[in-house]
Amino acid sequence: MILYLGRRLLGVAGVLLAIAAVTFTIFYVLPSDPAAAACGKACSDERLEAIRAHMGLDAPLWRQFADFVTGIFTGRTMGTGQYALRCDFPCLGYSYENSENVWDLLVDRLPVSASLAVGAAVLWLVLGLSAGVTAALRKDTLTDRVLMVGAVAAASLPVYFTSVLLIYGLIRLTGLLPYPQYVPFTSDPLSWASNLLLPWLALAVLYAAMYARQSRGAMIESMAEPYIRTARAKGLPRRTVVVKHGLRAGMTPVLTIFGMDLGGLLAGAVITESLFGLPGVGRLFYGALTSGDQPVILGVTLLAATFIVVANLAVDLLYAVVDPRVRY
Amino acid sequence: MNKRTRTLATALVTTLALGATGCSGGGKSGGSPDRKNPVTSTNGTVIGGTPQKGGTLTVLSNQDFTHLDPARNWVMPDMDFGTRLLYRTLVTYKAEPGAKGSELVPDLAEDLGTPSNGAKTWTFRLKPGLTYEDGTPITAQDIKYNVERSFSPDLPGGPDYAARYLAGAQGYQGPARGRHLDSVKTPDARTIVFELHKPFAEFPYAATLPTFAPVPPKQDKGPQYDNRPFSSGPYKIESYARDKQIVLVRNTHWDPKSDSVRKAYPDRIVVTMGLKGNQIDDRLIASSGTDASAVPWAQLRPESISKVLTKADVKARLLAESSSCTEMVQMHTGRAPFDDLKVRQAVQWALDREAIVTAAGGPAVTDASSAAMPGSLFTGGKQPDTLRIPLSGDPEKAKQLLKEAGKADGLSTRLTVSINDKAIGEAIQQSLGRAGIKVTLETVDPSAFYDTIGDTKNRTDLVYTGWCPDFPSGTTFLPFVFDGRYIKVKGNSGNHSLFKDDAVMKRMDEIAAMTDGAQANKAWQELDGQILAKAPVAPGAMKRRSLLVGTNVAGAYGHTSWSGQLDYATVGLKDPSKSAN
Repeated sequence: MILYLGRRLLGVAGVLLAIAAVTFTIFYVLPSDPAAAACGKACSDERLEAIRAHMGLDAPLWRQFADFVTGIFTGRTMGTGQYALRCDFPCLGYSYENSENVWDLLVDRLPVSASLAVGAAVLWLVLGLSAGVTAALRKDTLTDRVLMVGAVAAASLPVYFTSVLLIYGLIRLTGLLPYPQYVPFTSDPLSWASNLLLPWLALAVLYAAMYARQSRGAMIESMAEPYIRTARAKGLPRRTVVVKHGLRAGMTPVLTIFGMDLGGLLAGAVITESLFGLPGVGRLFYGALTSGDQPVILGVTLLAATFIVVANLAVDLLYAVVDPRVRY
Repeated sequence: MNKRTRTLATALVTTLALGATGCSGGGKSGGSPDRKNPVTSTNGTVIGGTPQKGGTLTVLSNQDFTHLDPARNWVMPDMDFGTRLLYRTLVTYKAEPGAKGSELVPDLAEDLGTPSNGAKTWTFRLKPGLTYEDGTPITAQDIKYNVERSFSPDLPGGPDYAARYLAGAQGYQGPARGRHLDSVKTPDARTIVFELHKPFAEFPYAATLPTFAPVPPKQDKGPQYDNRPFSSGPYKIESYARDKQIVLVRNTHWDPKSDSVRKAYPDRIVVTMGLKGNQIDDRLIASSGTDASAVPWAQLRPESISKVLTKADVKARLLAESSSCTEMVQMHTGRAPFDDLKVRQAVQWALDREAIVTAAGGPAVTDASSAAMPGSLFTGGKQPDTLRIPLSGDPEKAKQLLKEAGKADGLSTRLTVSINDKAIGEAIQQSLGRAGIKVTLETVDPSAFYDTIGDTKNRTDLVYTGWCPDFPSGTTFLPFVFDGRYIKVKGNSGNHSLFKDDAVMKRMDEIAAMTDGAQANKAWQELDGQILAKAPVAPGAMKRRSLLVGTNVAGAYGHTSWSGQLDYATVGLKDPSKSAN
């Protein structure tokens, strides 16, 4: 188990380094010039050079990348003299657009994205799994058909459409909910939830539909396994058979996609956050893309990659817990 | 105004244009030059009367500030917010609607400055007893320090007037290594003297820019100062989370008796950022609950304009002050066929400015332009009609001019517009087509627009773009747009007609050397007409900044010196008890 974990962690580090290298190269070989963007109108060549030097853009690409990677582990100082910028471990660079360290920006935005992702995940798991399991247990009945047609319909609605519909129906038409405005959980849990309900719903509708279809298939398959027949033959109550034997085994594929989905969402739901004006990592990323804020783009990409890779690893480890047949 | 500012402006402009796609060229109503603006609350009107003291004013914004550090703040609305609320400058603009908003008043200084040595030396004396938010005194040395900071490569983006005019500034890179500018002298804590390398009669206008606000060296945190500028104005920053929210509270050390401009009515000002534009519009149209005490940061979206104009009570809350930026069709004067004056004049005569106004969102948010410089740079605040061309153009006269140029069969050319200005591009295309000038439209993403048109070798003959003055003087307009000596082969900005006329350049130098500001202004105005007669450009339109304020908002007007942005010196609430806490 420990050997397995060690090997996997090494793999994770390799993947992240590769992603960092590729992202770094893509953004730093593009023709856009962050120094020129910062300098403004009628920028003299002399001033442009000074800014470029301050940003460290005059160094060769490999040197910039090496500095970036070392900075993650040891922190680094950018510039010299009175205005030198200190960027402590884990340093992901400095955003000249936001005048802040990228890491601090991410830490600041993460609670918003995490609130959005976790709340939506709870909603879609409850909705999706109950719909999927119900449909599987009543396979080929009217309930099954209605649920699955509903799921196909919901899955084909893009999130921006659902969002606009929800905003119109629940805010503008009926005034049931406020325009979402992020309130930290720690300052007012009730207001946190009521403000996030709409974005949760918007995200959950899409995912719940996919999970309903996925879990229905997995459940039908696992309920047809011989050990289910054995369990039934032993005279176990139906509830035990379904939940402990059927659902548990059927959850393995669902867990796989759940890990990826949640990991991806933790690093920001770009469209949902932008539509509802939530200051999460997704909106930070969108803003960075439009303003060409390369350090932030690189930082968010790495964060997203880390979440997905780590979630993947966690899921693999969880297999052993969920499915007794898996051992490491 | 820097490139980024222009990009932002264009982005706003484009949204307006997008909303009107498909309407371009339609809706002509004859050529009356005095069209009435359907928005009543412009030109001198204050919405909501005089505010009461107290309450929280909410600002709903779709964006963060570019920079609030006074050494780096060079975006019109941001300069308004910074200098009206957080830091004072040597000189500032009157807090008055309409043309009076471009008149100067002393701010930190006792007067508008004393010129000597043929306007090459400017001396300002600070008012006594001025303090920062911690009660420590504001000194002349602190203003000098911020001027020096603006040279620092770590603090880019700010106005460059200090760099262009101060003597001995060549190669200076800021105070970080203990080096200081000898051309800024502070004989005592209340006197500051600027020594320039050439005469600059309008130095007091430049002294309104945030470069001339004080920064105490002790509080300077380099680039991080952007997140927490130290206050010398009526408010200080309680909290600022980038792209989320900024909360301003009263600076109790600000003395209202020392300040003739800022009224500081609300107790708190909260800017909520990153909201969707359409949600901001809907909330302000409804104006319910605490939204009644809210104002918008950015302009109304084009699709919301009809919702506002159709309801009298909502329309009465709409401000639409001129942005003081003019847009024009700029012709490549350096090569055929536009090296021929007659051909360029044909474009001026063929252009249908009514169609451009319609394409840009209609007369509520746009005016047709009849000069190169905006109205705010002319006496009386109004552009003259120099060329006397009907608003909808005169295709017959244009054809005649083409015939005289030996192009009786017309000609083919290409026009570059930002993708946001596509509808305007189509209006230009149609109107020039009437005279036999066949235009192929090239639309470019806003982020690449200035690079594309700045490449003088590969660009199209025609481009549609504009300019915004930094302060109400021809100095910040005509040399940027028409001085041939500033043309760059690549990265060219401002002079997109590549206009290089010896007589014009000579005259520009003469005006720049004038020590009498009024005489200089008159000369710039005359020069504007002389340049238009040489037809490097055809005037197009001037945008207005449309801002819808909540029902509980008072003292609101668009300020002419900050592109029509709300004057934050005077805005407040009718009933502070109705606002959020």
